[in-house]
Amino acid sequence: MMNVATSREFESITLWIQWSRLISIMDEVDVALVRTSFSTIVGETRDFAVVMLDKHARSIAQSQMSSPAFTCSLPSATRRMLEDFPSSSLKPGDVLITNDPWICHGHLPDFYIVVPIFHEDAVVGFIATAAHISDIGGRLDEFDARDVFEEGLRIPPSKLYDGGVANDQLFRVLEANIRYPAQVLGDVEAIVGAGRLGGLRLGDFINDYGRDGLDQAAEAILDRSEAAMRAAIAEMPYGTYYGETACDGYKVPTYIKVKIDVGPDGVVCDYHGSSPARSDASVNCVLNVTHAHSLYALKCSLVPDIPNNEGLFRPIRTIAEEGSIVHARFPAAVKTRSKTSYHLHNAIYDALGPALPGRVQAGSGSFWSVKCFGTDSDGTRFAVHVLPNGGRGAIEGHDGQPTVAFPGNGTITPVEIIENWSPMVVLERSLRTDSGGAGEFRGGLGQSIRLTTLDRAVRLTIRPDKIRFPAPGLGGGQPGAPGELLLDDAPMALEPFELLPGQVVSLNLPGGGGFGNPADRDRDLVSADVAAGLVSPEASRTLYRHDLPLSKTGS
Amino acid sequence: MASRYRLGFDVGGTFTDFMLVDQETGTTFLNKCLTTPDDPSRGVMDGLLPLLDRAGVGGDDVDIAIHATTLITNALIERKGARTALLTTQGFRDVLEMGTEVRYDIYDLFLQKPELLVPRSRRYEVTERLDKDGKVLTALDEDGVRAVAQQLREDGAQALAIVFLHAFRNAAHELRAAEIIAEELPDLTVSISSAVAPEIREYERMSTTTANAYVQPITRAYIDTIQRRLREMGYPRNLYLMISSGGIAGGQTAKDFPIRMLESGPTAGVLAGIHYGRQMGIGSLVTFDMGGTTAKIALVKNYEAAKSNVFEVGRVARFKKGSGLPVKVPMVELIEIGAGGGSIAHVDQLGLLKVGPLSAGADPGPACYGRGGSLPTVTDANLVLGYYDPNFFLGGAMSLDVEAARKALETQLGGVLGLSAEQCARGIYEVVTQNMLAATKVHIAERGEDPRKFFLFAFGGAGPAHAYELARLLHMRGVIVPAGAGATSAAGLVTAAVSFDYARSLLGRLDRLPWEEVRRVFDAMAEEGLQVLEGAGVARDAPGVVVKHQMDLRHKGQGHEVTVTVPADVIADGQIDRIAEIFYATHREKYGHAHENLPLELVTCRTTVGAAAPEIPMKRLPEATETADVAQKGTRPAYFGELGRFVETPVYDRYALRPGMLLRGPAIVEERECTVVAGPSAGLRIDAFGNLFIDLDEAPIAESKEARNVETERA
Repeated sequence: MMNVATSREFESITLWIQWSRLISIMDEVDVALVRTSFSTIVGETRDFAVVMLDKHARSIAQSQMSSPAFTCSLPSATRRMLEDFPSSSLKPGDVLITNDPWICHGHLPDFYIVVPIFHEDAVVGFIATAAHISDIGGRLDEFDARDVFEEGLRIPPSKLYDGGVANDQLFRVLEANIRYPAQVLGDVEAIVGAGRLGGLRLGDFINDYGRDGLDQAAEAILDRSEAAMRAAIAEMPYGTYYGETACDGYKVPTYIKVKIDVGPDGVVCDYHGSSPARSDASVNCVLNVTHAHSLYALKCSLVPDIPNNEGLFRPIRTIAEEGSIVHARFPAAVKTRSKTSYHLHNAIYDALGPALPGRVQAGSGSFWSVKCFGTDSDGTRFAVHVLPNGGRGAIEGHDGQPTVAFPGNGTITPVEIIENWSPMVVLERSLRTDSGGAGEFRGGLGQSIRLTTLDRAVRLTIRPDKIRFPAPGLGGGQPGAPGELLLDDAPMALEPFELLPGQVVSLNLPGGGGFGNPADRDRDLVSADVAAGLVSPEASRTLYRHDLPLSKTGS
Repeated sequence: MASRYRLGFDVGGTFTDFMLVDQETGTTFLNKCLTTPDDPSRGVMDGLLPLLDRAGVGGDDVDIAIHATTLITNALIERKGARTALLTTQGFRDVLEMGTEVRYDIYDLFLQKPELLVPRSRRYEVTERLDKDGKVLTALDEDGVRAVAQQLREDGAQALAIVFLHAFRNAAHELRAAEIIAEELPDLTVSISSAVAPEIREYERMSTTTANAYVQPITRAYIDTIQRRLREMGYPRNLYLMISSGGIAGGQTAKDFPIRMLESGPTAGVLAGIHYGRQMGIGSLVTFDMGGTTAKIALVKNYEAAKSNVFEVGRVARFKKGSGLPVKVPMVELIEIGAGGGSIAHVDQLGLLKVGPLSAGADPGPACYGRGGSLPTVTDANLVLGYYDPNFFLGGAMSLDVEAARKALETQLGGVLGLSAEQCARGIYEVVTQNMLAATKVHIAERGEDPRKFFLFAFGGAGPAHAYELARLLHMRGVIVPAGAGATSAAGLVTAAVSFDYARSLLGRLDRLPWEEVRRVFDAMAEEGLQVLEGAGVARDAPGVVVKHQMDLRHKGQGHEVTVTVPADVIADGQIDRIAEIFYATHREKYGHAHENLPLELVTCRTTVGAAAPEIPMKRLPEATETADVAQKGTRPAYFGELGRFVETPVYDRYALRPGMLLRGPAIVEERECTVVAGPSAGLRIDAFGNLFIDLDEAPIAESKEARNVETERA
């Protein structure tokens, strides 16, 4: 056992030593998962989170690169799973799983897997993982499902392993219902293995500090974080703030409205007045996800430096009308809920501009999802999933970065990999001139991608965003350019389609919104943007009111 | 007398270190002088001439001169390279700016990306296109290249990177474009991606090639200068340079691929660890170099440094992965932690004590330096904890002000936290140790290794003061503090051998690849390497010449590759089943499982060609005839966390310790450049070469007769 420190020393020194150790355990779990995972979506695009929960299933630490929205819903999902499998009934070697959108993260591909950690036969904590797996059966298209049953296999809270023994029935059901069982089951195994590693490391921690030491650290982490969040909230002027944003939806647009109450008891995000849920598109968002994205936006603005844990969430509540687009009722179709959830922060930052000067970000250009399927010349099937990003919104003091997502954070698959894995050829990937919203601080530029196929047809499913409504500007900044999806230079429908040899599909991804009045932009920066070709001479005159001599090369 | 001396010199940020070794006797001569940043060759001569004098050696007696430098790293970090342009495939010049599209910090709304080495206005495109197999889809527009040359001339570009899609499969377009540029602009330095980094993933290849182009002009001039000054001094042979992968290369190779010299000084430190390890028969080490600003960790297994094929230069958010420019070169894998003697302690918004990554550096430095620094640092904490002698810092060349350290701890931290100066100092020591511990643990996990199998090889100004605690918390086998820990990097230089690493991406399912092509790729890389050896005077059939082939393989559909070593005959005969066995075994060993039903995919072929490491005897010291007591300088109170209090701790003079002497912790051992701190569960011994070992489990020593003697004598 480590030395017992005085309470003052615990408060200011030992607590951090322990806390940092718990985070580093989760970083180790993260590394183990990345290294052992199968699908690129877990391994390369990092669409997952690993979180440590205390014995009451409250999150106390996570890996530093965990995908943020998942970390907000993992604790509540675990507690819900424990209603069916109480802690007292669990035994070493048990592993729990569910992908229920209303328990987890709003659509079926997100698997939540929980490994209970034991010390001398008692549950002392949990390692919980959320991961977007490559397939869950159901329809291949993105939007058209009318209910969740069309979208694939739903696993209620279940035991994936029972006392270390695999639940064969469940594995067989999974295998029979998904398109790439080897990848998915490989990822599931990797998640369980990484979780167990976390358990071993937590065991070492308990050997050093005791079970009471872990409990004491957990309470301190949660309380200290809650206090810091409350202090940050208290710096905002108390009052009610209103914000809204428009989303492309699918065939019909949807609207998000938020009323944010900031007061001595904390923050309430109230989404009453938002559009009703859709029965003709899968853009519906469950309340868990709405809450998670509200928390994320607030954490980034209020306490970005504090390691994430549930204590930070305590002072924040999210409410919405059941049956609305942000609180979809079972069994609504939910597959493309990010068409709604990824816009929530725009409404929040729209509302909080006056309360958080300098700490709200203009709208970002979103990621698009491009899936390409087919059969190669040698008869093997291929599937490539590419997630290009639009431009990031500007914030006071800084231009938005080109092609950087918010709130998502995925990497782009390299052109050379796309071409090695499929018969497609990428003709262009370039920054879209004038796509960054004008402002004193300019929005980040989106990108243009042009794709064709050489000698065989490929099936493409593309899910764009911000075609109808661009990323909004803030503080007098202009919106970014909206996206465009073109087939041989003509606008195209969003249904899955066959791309034939010789045809060219163009994805023009949206730019980020600008911040502040464009006329106030530093003249040298406008000149530099024009010289670099990021802003056209024409836009510099009309939007920035900047009369420049024509650039010599235009590049 | 034949030329029997090997010379190593490492130009670091503050000091230039020298080591001259007689390869027959193992006798070494060391020197250290201040680096002269305006013209580093001046500092080199300032230190070299007196060293040769002292050794009674002329320039001609030096068989080989090996150099490491921070020039490349600094030029990239400080953006002091050439005015560089990029020429790429039509439609793709923005790839350099778009990068991986990832945010390296998910909660930071103000996150900044590193400044680009080539701005958009100097990124040119030309019509040409290859397919994934390297077949020409669109011919190179040669007139287009000439037009770009014209623009480069008008723009005053000094260096050019040429990066075409899929050029790693077929270099023809890049080579032809370079040829045309050379015709038009003979003075422009040109780097082509198919030579610099022929690996798949266009962004990383582009970033690497532009970085190479960016530092090429200054590197050429620099190497020429050093070579000339060595000639003037009487050294007639070629200058060799330490490269990032742990080998040395001749001046021309270094001029062609300057990016391969990143981190050459720290890499030499890792090589030193391997060299000492060989003498002691210890092949598994974690090298731990803790200086003023950072700590650097590297893993050595079976006398080989763990390597990585990607590195990041100039991280804008210090030490955050993803915040620098990616460079795809084979490197000895060093992780850098923001923890050094100068790291500053502060209280964060949660009221918690944090250390670093900000550093007081050398100027003003820690508060105890008395140079105007008022912020408490790790060095201040160590001083208050009794680890350092205020009158014997740098061997007494500098004295430390304990009161200033105490005052900084009290005013900056103690008041806010309600803790005494000693409590704050303990906290700083614990927190900085935890920072290093966390980073080291995760790094070891990334390599799929277990720290309990490794020794910690500690050097650098602050390393030996923190090594015991770090190794103890990692449950490592022990700590080694080498003799002459102050010039460890230079020691690594003189023990290095000519070696170079090649890589070529070749994607495809292992069972469907045209095997002649695989063979051709490996043969070409081996041949290139053997020619480089011959250029360095090493015959291809000389004893100890090694050609090592490796493949980056993965299960089909998996995102990450595993590098496995494959025997040459297995490649020659195309024994795919054997390769699969090797892969599955490696995968199982690292990750506990492998999926033998899934087909395998080859991504990249790698070949290392190297000469035998020089055999340099280490000088044995005479065995001690007395106990360690004769080396004891005195005692002073020092704090040990394991005991929870200050204890009167014996202090020893490192230079008076002799082989065979045994000490029990707690103990402090002082030498000029560093202080070794060993806690209560340590047993210390000196080996035949003067290296200091710290055993972490006291049992083995307690059982031995000598140890009991030591104990009784001390009692």
